[in-house]
Amino acid sequence: MTHPIHILVIDDEPQILRALKTILAAKQFRVSTATRGEEGLALAAAEQPDLIILDMSLPDMDGIQVCRELRTWTMTPILILSVRDSEKDKVAALDAGADDYLTKPFGIEELLARIRVALRHKNQAMTGNKSSKIRAGKVEIDLTGFTVRRENTEVSLTATEFKLLAYLASHAGRVLTHQMILSNVWDPAEANKIEYLRVYIRQLRKKIEDDPQNPKILLTEPGIGYRFIADE
Amino acid sequence: MRKTDLSPRQLAWQAAGVFSAALLTLGLSILLYPFRSDLRIAVVALLYLLPVMLSAAWWGLTAGITGAITAFLAFNYFFIQPYYTFDVHHTGDWAVLAVFLSVAIIISELMGRARLNLQLAQAREAEAMRLFELSTLLARARDEQSVAQALAEKTIDTLLADRIEISIETSAEHIKFSRGMRFNRKPDVIVPLQAARGLIGEIRLWRNHPPLQAPETRILQTFAGQGVLAIERIRLANADQKAQVLEESDRLKSSLLSSVSHELRTPLSAIKASVSSLRSGEIDWNTEARTELLATVEEEIDHLNVLVGHLLDMSRIEAGVLKPQKKPNLLAEIVESALSHLRTQTQRHHVEVDVPDDLPLINVDFVQMEQVFTNLLTNSLKYSPPGSTIRIVARQQDPQTILVRLTNQSLPVPESDLERIFEKFYRINPSDQVTGSGLGLSITKGIIDAHGGKIWAENLPDGLAFNIILPLY
Repeated sequence: MTHPIHILVIDDEPQILRALKTILAAKQFRVSTATRGEEGLALAAAEQPDLIILDMSLPDMDGIQVCRELRTWTMTPILILSVRDSEKDKVAALDAGADDYLTKPFGIEELLARIRVALRHKNQAMTGNKSSKIRAGKVEIDLTGFTVRRENTEVSLTATEFKLLAYLASHAGRVLTHQMILSNVWDPAEANKIEYLRVYIRQLRKKIEDDPQNPKILLTEPGIGYRFIADE
Repeated sequence: MRKTDLSPRQLAWQAAGVFSAALLTLGLSILLYPFRSDLRIAVVALLYLLPVMLSAAWWGLTAGITGAITAFLAFNYFFIQPYYTFDVHHTGDWAVLAVFLSVAIIISELMGRARLNLQLAQAREAEAMRLFELSTLLARARDEQSVAQALAEKTIDTLLADRIEISIETSAEHIKFSRGMRFNRKPDVIVPLQAARGLIGEIRLWRNHPPLQAPETRILQTFAGQGVLAIERIRLANADQKAQVLEESDRLKSSLLSSVSHELRTPLSAIKASVSSLRSGEIDWNTEARTELLATVEEEIDHLNVLVGHLLDMSRIEAGVLKPQKKPNLLAEIVESALSHLRTQTQRHHVEVDVPDDLPLINVDFVQMEQVFTNLLTNSLKYSPPGSTIRIVARQQDPQTILVRLTNQSLPVPESDLERIFEKFYRINPSDQVTGSGLGLSITKGIIDAHGGKIWAENLPDGLAFNIILPLY
């Protein structure tokens, strides 16, 4: 890549800014920082970063509010980094348009992996070049052919199972809240029927995971939703 | 009772008594009249004592005296010759009349007094009864509002007052309680509620018709006194409870501080030691040593993070703000999630999971329930020997509940301490070197309680079992 990828970090804690700047710069990213919400919004507009890392608690405004305002004009991936670890906060951030949520303290490998996922999504969305085949371990999902193969044997799925798997896989790497999944795969009116989702996820795991008790592809995000892990 | 004390009602009652006594005597005269010639004077005199006695007994002294005089006159008029005059011819008849009158008056006097004493005794009994009822009510009162209520209701019932207002001043608030219709005039009686340490409030009473009598005022004073005692008792009990809570929280805080400072300093020392040695230019660390030191740092930081999480959870439980976000969940998924986060720690033990997929969904907070299993597993891993088995079994117990049983092969806990292991900072052996926040099991219990479930520990022949009952809905 000719231009270094530009990341904007909005966080009011100087220690975190210092650490992130050092680490991300070492990974060849260009980093800008803001310590306040307003400043962050202005920088995002002025510099058009490729990705925004956002803290939930800022001195002048709430991270959720920043997230909503950003989403009114940009689809730049937003990664939330927060000490708030309640599911309520996470779901609120994801529903406000955040792409991912990481709680402090976080491991840097985890952060880099999430950054990669978010950037890949951005590129796919921009180029419209979405691969119709998604691979995850031994599983290959053909979104256009409506087939799922595991170790080259076709896995037979019901229509709903396929719809659910396709929705999760096409957002690979991202946390999808229960509400998002239910209203996209079923019907917005059924966004509360988490029990459906649990049962279908269970069935899917039995069909595609090596060890359904210890899933590697369809991960549970406790209290929030699910995440599909595709091969990089 | 003195005349001046008489209320209009009592006066009317006395007038009726006087009238009835006269009527009774006259009635007897009419009854005896036909038998005048057959009856001896002495017998008539005896018979005339009857209405006198009855009047005195029924209607009191005044009626008795009236009866006596009416009887004396009727006796003389109808039965002593010459008839139909108040003249007396025989000297002996004079004697009969004189004796009759004195006997009648003495009887009236005695009967009247007996009746009065009875009335007084009854009034006292009623008063004692009211007082007893009031003190029973007051003894039951747990706060000052209910004292005011009990006092107001008993007073208004006892004194048949029109309205009562009770106000009690506390350090924080102003308690007011009233009964009866509101009036536009000033209260007829105000009784202060005077406690040992000063005025704490007052009773305002409206009853102008009839005005309050001395004994009633006395009752009111007594009631007020009882009320004050009850309020003082409640205040003392509250103060005592507060003191106990403070003492308890002080004790907890100091054990928390000592436990926490130890638990926080240990990982911090390890981190500080590792990082400072890595930074000092004196030693040229080889790759293996660097990796080792850095692994220590990361592990200890995770440990610190768990500790901080426990402290937060505990303070949430104690503040009563641990509200489970209940959603339908698969128990198997929760257990697997807990196990997958503990994968590195469980390598030296055999963990067997028997949580059927087809158990009904349970309505719980996923994250909190995962924490329950994480805590129980961590506890079992710490206290049971490497190579031993930890087993998690879940079964539907009845249509409403699921029973989860986690067994390990740790040493038994003394029977008397099976409940205490869920207390904060409890250690079976205070000097044992097991690390941890000392909060895990009490957080677990807090979460289970918040879900309406139950958890208890039980010694097994070869280990310890944690049993959890969870409601399905």
